[in-house]
Amino acid sequence: MATEYKPPALPSPFSNTKPPPILLTQGAEAHLYKTVSINPAIPAALKIRPSKPYRHPILDRKLTRQRIIQEARCMIKLVREGVKVPAVLAMDWEGQGGDEGGWGGAWLMMEWIEGPVVRVVLEKWEAWFKANRGTMDEAQITAAEAPVRALLRRIGAAIAALHKAGVVHGDLTTSNLMLRTSEWDQEDRAIEGEVVIIDFGLASQSVQDEDRAVDLYVLERAMGSTHPLSEPFFEELLVGYREGNKGAISTIRRLEDVRLRGRKRSMLG
Amino acid sequence: MTPQLETINIPHLPNAPVHVALYRNVENSASLRQQLLAGNADFEYALIDASMVLSRQHAIAAIFRAVNDYSNNRLKSHNVHSEIVISFSPATNITESFRKFGITDSTKDLLVVKVSVSSEITHDSVAAHLESSVVATSVPFDDQSLSEISDITKIKKAYKLGALPSPGTKIDRAQTKAPTDDDVKRRLELSILGAIALRGS
Amino acid sequence: MIAIGMEGSANKVAIGIMSYPEDGSAPQILANVRHTYNSPPGEGFLPKDVARHHRTWVVKMVKDAMKEARIRVKDVSCICFTQGPGMGAPLQSVVMAARMMSLLWGKPLVGVNHCVGHIEMGRLITGAENPVVLYVSGGNTQVIAYSSKRYRIFGETLDIAVGNCLDRFARTLYIPNDPFPGYNIEQLAKKGRRLVELPYIVKGMDCSFSGILAAVDTLAVSLGLNGEEQARLDDERIDQEQQGEQDPDAKPTRADLCFSLQETVYAMLVEITERAMAHVGSKQVLIVGGVGSNERLQEMMGIMARDRGGSVFATDERYCIDNGVMIAQAGMMAFKTGFTTPLKESTCTQRFRTDEVFVDWRD
Repeated sequence: MATEYKPPALPSPFSNTKPPPILLTQGAEAHLYKTVSINPAIPAALKIRPSKPYRHPILDRKLTRQRIIQEARCMIKLVREGVKVPAVLAMDWEGQGGDEGGWGGAWLMMEWIEGPVVRVVLEKWEAWFKANRGTMDEAQITAAEAPVRALLRRIGAAIAALHKAGVVHGDLTTSNLMLRTSEWDQEDRAIEGEVVIIDFGLASQSVQDEDRAVDLYVLERAMGSTHPLSEPFFEELLVGYREGNKGAISTIRRLEDVRLRGRKRSMLG
Repeated sequence: MTPQLETINIPHLPNAPVHVALYRNVENSASLRQQLLAGNADFEYALIDASMVLSRQHAIAAIFRAVNDYSNNRLKSHNVHSEIVISFSPATNITESFRKFGITDSTKDLLVVKVSVSSEITHDSVAAHLESSVVATSVPFDDQSLSEISDITKIKKAYKLGALPSPGTKIDRAQTKAPTDDDVKRRLELSILGAIALRGS
Repeated sequence: MIAIGMEGSANKVAIGIMSYPEDGSAPQILANVRHTYNSPPGEGFLPKDVARHHRTWVVKMVKDAMKEARIRVKDVSCICFTQGPGMGAPLQSVVMAARMMSLLWGKPLVGVNHCVGHIEMGRLITGAENPVVLYVSGGNTQVIAYSSKRYRIFGETLDIAVGNCLDRFARTLYIPNDPFPGYNIEQLAKKGRRLVELPYIVKGMDCSFSGILAAVDTLAVSLGLNGEEQARLDDERIDQEQQGEQDPDAKPTRADLCFSLQETVYAMLVEITERAMAHVGSKQVLIVGGVGSNERLQEMMGIMARDRGGSVFATDERYCIDNGVMIAQAGMMAFKTGFTTPLKESTCTQRFRTDEVFVDWRD
């Protein structure tokens, strides 16, 4: 029966960290914490992939290790290529700590990105737009939409850079896109800042049009379900994508195939 | 002159303060290296060719990796100090790591690191020993000093980052999107940190 | 009200009868009968043979069920039948019987999606209200969650079903098909300890089993463990090892291969289920379908759910293996909203996706 949830113990050396890392989110395979980097004045994001006690220990170790290394390799490659992603500051794929000093999980310490996720930025904009568009004339609506269109272009350019560097993300949603800005506050609906792509937990190295098109398709679907008012501007994202990547034409052609396939789309709904 | 020995408490590793000194114009590199090779316990230091060090963050990342591996009993070499030298390297070959990042007979700029792995090793004991052992000019362990010392070309080669732009090179400022010198250096530094983190993966 | 449920989408023909008291109290299971077509060890079943089996048995089973339920034709409110997905010929055999009964008795037909049947029966038996559902059987592998009037598929197999992977490997190892191959694999796996490395293929919330089957089949052949004669010899070795100590470095036995296959494919299933739970923010898991009766899968799912502060719901063989009451249950829920299937639309379909059903009976 249901039990009280408590996050697993932090792996070494973070069991010593003062003040202790703060848990931000619990995903399916990782916990994300905020802590300090190897410089006490600079914050860092700490991603922990705890051991999964349900699987055989040999299999568990192999998978955890494989995946955290793949994630780190993708990010490090992107940093090298100058793509805007959090840098890897340190990592440990062996895993220490946990119960009785046994296998506790692997960790990845990353650069802390200051700013909001695009999901929140678009949600705020959509709420504002919905409430105010009734009173706006055509020119005002165009002006109100302009920053969202511009943001989608910047996102397209960021994805183009990602793909050009030979990496596909595997889980592009507006929660995995951030705007780096130190000036954003909760009340703000400004749409400024550099687009930073985060969470490479499902990323892999690939230059296949199919994989790239699926990245774009997943984001398009995610926008459709979470940001219905911004989705019409998805075309802008493709414009930004095309500008940033010479090989974009064949990827976008493939995107049309992927859309048609829409494997999981119900025939009725 | 008492060396400018800095004692750093690296976050997450509270039980192992690290003592770091940076020297220029070192005159006795050959004898320091000899002591190291002879396994003289008094000279158990990480002695790093400082021209291979880009920044303070670069050095601390390598030290962090080595001390973490040490505290988890995962050393690939004899002790935490030799481990620091090989932690600078992106490759797993120990001999090659020492050749590229360790002290040589002709090293002029030297980074010395000592970890307090036992209670006898204190700031004062390390400072006293270094004062009597290293014939050189002590300079602060900071990015300012290192920027005058680091050999960017050699560093980039060691980390196979030759394709990256180098800080300090002339950039066409007419291009509005051209990255600043700080951006260029930061990208190089973060790429190095990644290589250090991935060693042995 | 009383519903008859008729199921025949795979190698089982099953009739269930459910009663729904007028006072709204809990539904009663009046009868739940089943007859399984099993092929000999080393062989799979052919649709035409299964269809013949179903045709032979269906009338007798309806009679038996009604006798057991102590009901008469006039008590029946509707005849619910599996419309798909499944194997064409076996589905047809049972649909034919349902149509005949409908015409003969003048009772309305209710076509039911087999997967929705599993989900509704699982919810009824376990009391799980809004779980993430893992539906695992010989023909299906899906991770499902309910959202605005549909059971939506969040993840699924990209090729063969997990049960199909297990069934086919059972044939390679000459493991008996009676009572069902997955059960015998599980019993053999309990004697295995050595984990051999197999591919592990998860993509987001989807997974793939064909590569694993190919790998474990190849391994079995290269170890000389395939076929009837080897099965007998290897069983002797397994029994010897059970007596004494197992050498961890010794050549793997069939038990080790079954153990490794189970550990690998069930870890994949738990992983995609956990991802779906995180995605929809649910803490409940319901396992349905024939593979859902596997104790190791239930145990692994239980550990995962516990670590997320949630719980797992599963049913025993009577309800998770294909049965008639699940068709009656899902059919009655639709029937109560006014849904019936006109005779001319009472065809069956091999492909019938879970998310095609408009779930009008839930909020």
